[in-house]
Parts: sequence; structure tokens; C-alpha cells
Amino acid sequence: MKNVIVILSMLLIFPDICAAQESDIATEVRELRAKLDRLEKKMADDEAQKAKRAEAEKAAITEQVKKDVISEVAAKGQSYFGRLIEQTKVGAYGSMRYGTSNLDDLHNTFTFRRFVLTVDSPIYERLKANMELEFERFTSLELDKKLTKTSGGGLTSEVALEGTQKSEISLEQAWMQYDINDWLKFRGGAVLVPLGRFNINHDDNKWDLPRRSLVDRGVPVLPATAAWPELGVGFLGDIPIGNTGKLNYQWYVMNGVALNSEIEQIGQTRAGDTTKLAYEVKLQPTRGTFSDDIKAGKSIGTRWAYSPWLGDEIGASLYWGRYTPDFLPSKPVISFAFDGKKTWGPFEIEGQYVNTQWSGVHSVAKGLAQRAITSSSEGEVGDVETEVEFELANLASRKQGYWLDFRYRFWPEVLNRTILGSQFPNPQLIATLRLEQVWFSGLINSIAFTDGSLTEFKTQQRLLNRYTLGLTYRPMPLVALQLAYEYTRTNQGKSLSTVTNYLPAKPGEYFQNAVLMGLTFGF
Amino acid sequence: MNAFVKCFWLVCLVFSLRTPLLVSAQEGIFLKEDEAPKAVFPDATSFSRRVIPSTPELKDRIKQRMGKTPTSVWEDSYVTFVAKKGETILGYAVIVEEIGKHRPITFVVGVGADRKIKDAALMVYREAYGGEVRDRRFLQQYKGKGLKDPLLPYRDIQNISGATMSVEAIGRGSKKALALVDLIYSEDAEQK
Repeated sequence: MKNVIVILSMLLIFPDICAAQESDIATEVRELRAKLDRLEKKMADDEAQKAKRAEAEKAAITEQVKKDVISEVAAKGQSYFGRLIEQTKVGAYGSMRYGTSNLDDLHNTFTFRRFVLTVDSPIYERLKANMELEFERFTSLELDKKLTKTSGGGLTSEVALEGTQKSEISLEQAWMQYDINDWLKFRGGAVLVPLGRFNINHDDNKWDLPRRSLVDRGVPVLPATAAWPELGVGFLGDIPIGNTGKLNYQWYVMNGVALNSEIEQIGQTRAGDTTKLAYEVKLQPTRGTFSDDIKAGKSIGTRWAYSPWLGDEIGASLYWGRYTPDFLPSKPVISFAFDGKKTWGPFEIEGQYVNTQWSGVHSVAKGLAQRAITSSSEGEVGDVETEVEFELANLASRKQGYWLDFRYRFWPEVLNRTILGSQFPNPQLIATLRLEQVWFSGLINSIAFTDGSLTEFKTQQRLLNRYTLGLTYRPMPLVALQLAYEYTRTNQGKSLSTVTNYLPAKPGEYFQNAVLMGLTFGF
Repeated sequence: MNAFVKCFWLVCLVFSLRTPLLVSAQEGIFLKEDEAPKAVFPDATSFSRRVIPSTPELKDRIKQRMGKTPTSVWEDSYVTFVAKKGETILGYAVIVEEIGKHRPITFVVGVGADRKIKDAALMVYREAYGGEVRDRRFLQQYKGKGLKDPLLPYRDIQNISGATMSVEAIGRGSKKALALVDLIYSEDAEQK
């Protein structure tokens, strides 16, 4: 009771003190609450910022990774394709000629012999590809095809073909090679047949005369005209022998040369208001097809060359394979060649001998007679005469021949002060004498057949000689200006056109004098 | 004929079985930088590497030394080595590059203390043809040649048929190496 009285008395005496204490506590509590609120807000803000930053960082990392991956892929792509494109080289060689001749039907003329585009590419380490595309005497080729309404009813189909004289587009090489090692390289595709030394080394700008040899081109004695590629696969390589010697070989299995048809369509107007339409079908040896082979059996070609030291080489080569298409009796062609080069300082002798035997030429003619039934058939409708003719061309039981070049390289110092020498580090003059001979045994002169039987089969023995004297100026190794005099002669009274594929000689024109000026280049 | 085809594939098989390793082919890398000086100075016991930056002044002086022979490419710098046997300087190896027909050929030229070529060796060959310039029988022709020699095919170098551009490139590069050694190391020796 006493205590209660004391407390009540205190409350009555100091009422303000108690109220003030209560107010302070409340204020403090409010401040603390506000502080807590601020802290909570700050923490929440910090959390939010942290989350935002983490989100941004994550997005940035994702973006960076994406960029890195893209750039890595791009870099890889660029490094491979970029390198491939950078290392793929396009080159070319070409040659033109101005020639004069005593033959009546051969005008003095400029001839653009050929322009050849070359591409080589190292696909990958030890893998490479190479191709050559030739445009021979080529200017243009135009094709036009139309299907239109005919006035008054019906349809009209038109095909127009416009080309240029003796033009050709030809794939000379297109192969891939895998270098296993120096002595073993695999090559597959359209490869140059290793028969003799010219065909595998035929670029015009490497030679000093403005016309290719009779053996390789002008007759030819090779089973097909150089440059002669075939579709196949094989091996090649170099084997060192001793300190300075080297053995080089090439060996291929290929589709091979075949008798194939060349169709000539002739439209002729004649005296007496009549016209003639003729189709001449020539069956002649041509390079093998790059499509389905037209004969059973493949051909082989191989060349082995030994070089005892730099500058000298001797080679032997062989080609063997069936040349008749499936519809004719199976007969092989066998061709062998010897070639070589010898150097004594500025003097060089280089040559090649080729011997080609077409077996069973008579049987082939008989087979053709049985298949084609009639060698020539004619018919007349009104004033139009039509004719279809089959013939075997460029075949002989045996052709053999050689070319032999004697060269002398020189450069008179006095020419260094002229336009010929002042601009170039190593210009040269090359004097060349080329001797060539070709012998023909059993060269088909004429054949005829009726009702499936051979009625005429005439052959002849012929000889063809050519001598060429030339002078070449080479400002650079890949460029040459050539001047040459050529004398070509066959058996007296016979025509040069029956033993060459480039001279349109009349009957009885058995020799030709020609002066040739050539320009050849490469890059 | 089928017998020939079978024979061909048989030989393919035999060749593939008999080829245990891929070894050097016509184009490729034949020597690395650290192997290069040893290839031209096999008797050396030590090599000290020195990189010489190619300045316009140096180019001009090399050009003067090379005379009528033009270069097809100028290096940014020249990697050279001083080859020593014990304390005796045998010579200097210089790595040079020159364009063959389309692509650069990288090779090392060893120049003796007498300023004559001791040897040369191909390091990288990139052309599709003309790899015969790598052969010892070709490169040994350069031994003993100096800056005053033409180093040209059909003059003092036996050409390789079909590889004339590469042959000329080796000649140009060799002259460049001779000129560089003459300029850098002869002058160093004179200064000493």
C-alpha cells in the first residue's frame, strides 16, 4: 500500500518527465525503422543491380562466345579456301604463226595455232590437281535452236550452228595427283600418254620451231595426234641412281585410242542446176573417249627414262591396246618409241623415234564392210543427189619415223646494247636444224565394199621427209620469236595431202617450200 | 588385256604395301629454319642466328651488287647464320626467297669466308613443276660461284628442261645471298 502511494505521488509530482521519456523512445524507434527501411531498400537495390550485372555479363559472355566461334569458323574457312584460292595458279601458253607456201591451195596466212589455259592447284599437302584447256584455231562457236509456229499451222524446229574453220576446243589434261613419295606418285584423270618425249612436254613455248614434228603431229606416227591425253590412272616417279643419275618412269592404264567416226556433212551446188548432199563418215584413230569406252579392254602406256646427269637423258616407251570398237574384230595397236637428249655446253641434240603397228588392218576393213554393208550409196530425189560414204582413214599396217633436232644457243654481247638485249637479263638466240623422216607400210590408199563384202583394198608404201632450219630469239624463257625455212617432200608424183594432215596438196604436189614466222608465249 | 589391268592393280597393291612412310615429294617443305644452316655447312659445330632487317638502303646496295640481275621479291628481313667450327668462321648461311614461275621458292645459300658459294639447299618448293631444282646434281653447280658469275641457265648453269623459271630463280636468290653476305659480314669484318 505504501509503495502504491509513493508511485502515485511521483506521477502526480513529475508527470512531464514520464511523457518526455516515452516520446524519445518512440522517435528512436521511428529512426531505427527508417534506417532499417533504407538498409532494406539499399540491399534490394544492390541485389537488383547485381542480378542486372550478372545478366549483362552472361549476355556478354554468350555474345563473345558466339563471336569467337563465328570468327574461328570464319578464320578456318578463310585459311583453307583463302589459301587454296591464293595458291591456285592460272597460267597459259599460246602461239601464232605466219606461213608462206608454194602449194596452190595454201595461202600465205596468219594462223593462231592455239591458246591453252592452264590451272594448277595444291588441294592439300601432297594432293594436287592440274588441267589444260586448249582453244585451237578457235574464234567462236554459236548455237541457235528455235521451235516456232508455222504460219498456216504446224511447228517449225530450227537448229543453227556457226563455227570457225578447223577450230577445236579440247581438254588436254585434267588430273589429280597424290605424291606418296618421290618415286611413287599416283595420278588419275585425263593424263598425257607417255609415248616419246614430245607428248609429255608439248607446250609450244618450250620449243624453238614454229611447227610440231611430223611424228607427233603432222602425220602422226603416234597412235593419236599430240597433245594426246587419255583417261586413266597410273603411277609415276623419280628414282635416284648414284650421285648424279636419275630414273624417271610413268605407267598408266587407260581407255586408249580407238577407231572413231568423224562425220563430214557437205552441201554442194553444181553445174546443171543440181545439188548434192553428202555425208562422209571417216573411221580413223582418235584419242579414246572420256565417256563410256566403245571397246572392251584397256590400254597401257609406259615410259622409262634414265638421266645419267643433268642435261642428258635417254628414254624408252611403249603403248599397247585394242583400237577397234566392239562392232569390229578385236585388233591391237602397238607402238614403241626411243628418245633422248644430249647436251655439250651450248650444243644440244634431241630426238625421238616412234614405230606404230596397227595390226589386222585388212581384217578391220573386212569387218567394216560386213557392218556398214556398202561403202558408198547414192540416191536422187528430183534435182537433189544424196550420198553416204564410209571410209577408213589414216591407217597403215606400220608407220615409223623420227625427228632429230640439233641446237646451238648463243648470244653476241654486242646485242646487249640493242633493244633485243638491253631490257632482258638472259636473252638467247637459238639456231636449230631439224631432220625428220616417216615411212609408211601398208598405208590404206582406197577401200570399197558392196553388199557386206570388201571389193577393193589398196595400200601403198610411202616416204615423207622434212628438213627445217630455224633461228629463234628468246628474250625470256617463256617467250620466243621464231623464223624457219621448211622443205617437205614425199614420193615423186604423189600428193603430200595423203601422208600429212595439214597440207592441202593437190594430186602430184609432192614437195613444199615454206617460210614460217612464229610467236609463242607463256605466263 | 584384262591380265594387264589385273597386273596393274597388283602392282598398286604391292607398292602401297611396300611404302611404309610418306617421304618428300616434288613440292613441299624439305628443310626447317633450324635445319637449314646445317644443310649447307655440315662440318660446322655451332651457328649463331642473326636477323637483318631489310631497309630501303640495304635493298639499294644489294641491287647495286647484283648488277643486271633483278630480284622478283624482297624479303622483310633476312635470316642469316654464322657457321663456326670451334672458333673458326666457316661461312654464312642466308635464307632467301625468289619467285619461280608463279610461286616463291625458299632456299638457303651457304657462302664461305672466301665469298664463294659453298652449297645451297631447297627449304620450300611450291611450284607444281620444276621440282628437279632440289636435286643435289643441280644445286652442286653453284658451288664455287661468286657474285661476278652470271648464275644463269645456258651460261654457267646447266638448265633443267621445263623448269627454266625455277633455275633462274635459284640463280637470282643465290646472287642476293652473295650480295648480302658481302655487304653485311664483310663490312663487319672490316670494322673489326
